[in-house]
Amino acid sequence: MTVLPVARRAARHRTLLLCAAALAALVALTALGLSSGQASMPAGTALRALVGLGDPGDVLVVQQFRAPRVFAALIAGAALAVSGSLLQRLFRNPLASPDVVGVTGGASFGAVLLLATGASQLLTPLAALGGGLLAALALGAFARRSRVAVGSLVLVGLAVQAGLAAAVNLMIVRFPAELASSALQWTTGSLYGSTWPEVWAGGGAVAAVLTAAFLHSRRLSVLDLGEESAGALGLTPARARLHLLLLTIALASLAAALSGPVGFVALAVPHLVRFLAGPPTPATLALTALTGGVLLLGADLIVLHLLPVHGLPVGAMTATLGAPWLLVLMIRRPAADRSTP
Amino acid sequence: MLRNDLPASTAPAQRSLTVRQSLLPAVGLCVLVLCIALSLALGSRPLPLSTVLDALLGSGAGHGRDADADVVTGLRVPRTIIGLVVGAALGVAGAVAQGITRNPLASPTTLGINAGASFAVVTAIYALHLTRPVEYVWFAIAGAAATALAAQAMARRAGDLDPTRLALGGTVLAAVLTSWTSALMLTSRRTLDEARFWLAGSLAGRGLDVLTPVLPLIVLGLALAFAVAPALNALALGDESAQALGVPVTRIRVLGGLAVVLLAAGAVAVAGPVAFVGLAAPHLVRLVLGPDHRRLLPGCLIAGPILLLAADVLGRVVVRPSELEVGIVTAFLGAPLLAVLARRAAR
Repeated sequence: MTVLPVARRAARHRTLLLCAAALAALVALTALGLSSGQASMPAGTALRALVGLGDPGDVLVVQQFRAPRVFAALIAGAALAVSGSLLQRLFRNPLASPDVVGVTGGASFGAVLLLATGASQLLTPLAALGGGLLAALALGAFARRSRVAVGSLVLVGLAVQAGLAAAVNLMIVRFPAELASSALQWTTGSLYGSTWPEVWAGGGAVAAVLTAAFLHSRRLSVLDLGEESAGALGLTPARARLHLLLLTIALASLAAALSGPVGFVALAVPHLVRFLAGPPTPATLALTALTGGVLLLGADLIVLHLLPVHGLPVGAMTATLGAPWLLVLMIRRPAADRSTP
Repeated sequence: MLRNDLPASTAPAQRSLTVRQSLLPAVGLCVLVLCIALSLALGSRPLPLSTVLDALLGSGAGHGRDADADVVTGLRVPRTIIGLVVGAALGVAGAVAQGITRNPLASPTTLGINAGASFAVVTAIYALHLTRPVEYVWFAIAGAAATALAAQAMARRAGDLDPTRLALGGTVLAAVLTSWTSALMLTSRRTLDEARFWLAGSLAGRGLDVLTPVLPLIVLGLALAFAVAPALNALALGDESAQALGVPVTRIRVLGGLAVVLLAAGAVAVAGPVAFVGLAAPHLVRLVLGPDHRRLLPGCLIAGPILLLAADVLGRVVVRPSELEVGIVTAFLGAPLLAVLARRAAR
């Protein structure tokens, strides 16, 4: 509110510029992801193969193997980043991520439990989605019934998370080594075996929730002003928070279903965007989504094509890629700004 | 010196707090003694307390005594002592970590200490084919210290230590190291098989010799922690107020951070990454003793071991004759506890 119009316009310009850059990176990485691999092809061929034109072999490779994985990465990355951004503002805590609302723990628990029963791996995304939603909704119900303040809700969320993580850990310790390995692989987050049904369903749901989040983002800015001001402006803070919380939970659970609980995207991307583009606006929320997608896709491409070791989870790479960037920004930035990201 | 700065409260509340203060240490110590007794007596082979006492005093006689005495003196005494030391270190480390970062979510885990130790140990298992917890100790200490110091270095800026950066830097480092740990375990099945038991956090299968290298660290860490406790109260008022009171904010943060590193590194080196005790113990103590760090730290010194030993005993009992790793039990136990705490705090 106190920002000078000129500064505000400059910030908006910068955000738009950054959005364009992120979009360009996204397109470039998508083309790269579709075209590179064992049978590499020019980007143009790959893009034509995506819509079913050109050599049938290329079409098969691109449509069946590469495209689902690329799109799953983009969707999951965007969902994770936006959910992290909303959570950090809701809880006014720069450390908040889907861990804090129990989604990560619930999704991991659901998926690993499914692995333990030996059911088909195709069901894993559903188990993860169910686990994440259940954990988070249980948390929400608890908060509503006992009227826990948002600050304390973080504690309850951590508690839920810790309990579920312990259950996962217990299974990993007790499993035979083979099963323990696949459980660990899943809980680190990976995009192996993404399929079209997953991508369509996940993508549609994420798009719907993201739209809702954008529509809510004005309320979020009002909430940023503090409880009393929000109340004075005609917003019921508790209800607005609950709605936003439900949206973030849905986003994080969908992401977990697509990619497993990939770490770091939800934690780091909001900080990166804030460092680059300044205080949050609806435009920075879009930038957050784009950056998340770019980060996750880039990390997955490195895991797939650049590393000498096969079968590494993409979660290991998102952290490796994102951390130095974030840390450098953190060190270079003056300490004055301690408000929530 | 800082008594006047404590939040003013109404007279009856003050009185009830005073009564509590005089009673609680005694109650806490009694519970702790009970936990120690249970830890010595219970296990895959439960022993009557008289047998335990005989074994401890070396005075018992009669058939079967030797085997029982061996169990008590050879296995359960070291395990209990290790539990006491680790629990105390974790409890106090958590309280100081929350104090210096002014973040109720902070714990040794937040500062990257557990992740650093885990990564170093798993790397050692991967590269050097180590197999016994005693051999892990130095790697764990080195990894924990390096990570925590790196987090502090990043949070320092022009002589100032920003608590938000400290917590964020630690969390970022922890995320990176944890993912690398998983990556290492996924590339080598042998490493996965060795490391997953250590990573769960356990007091079992260690002799008192694991304590030798870490005891000096923990003692030094405790001394530092208690030395900065009064200043942590001032810090809780905000940096500016603390500065106005003449407290050297940055120096206190650095010293407190050092105490956390020493304590948590010692604990993780001995028992592996045991989550939650460091987070839950201060919240538990704060609930009964209030936020004054001069009471909080001694409280954590008792509450930490109580939590850890109780969890360890429970882990031995619930799936007898097998047992659950203490780190898994603390998380299972601590989770509902923390939920209840949050709920009570909300009222």
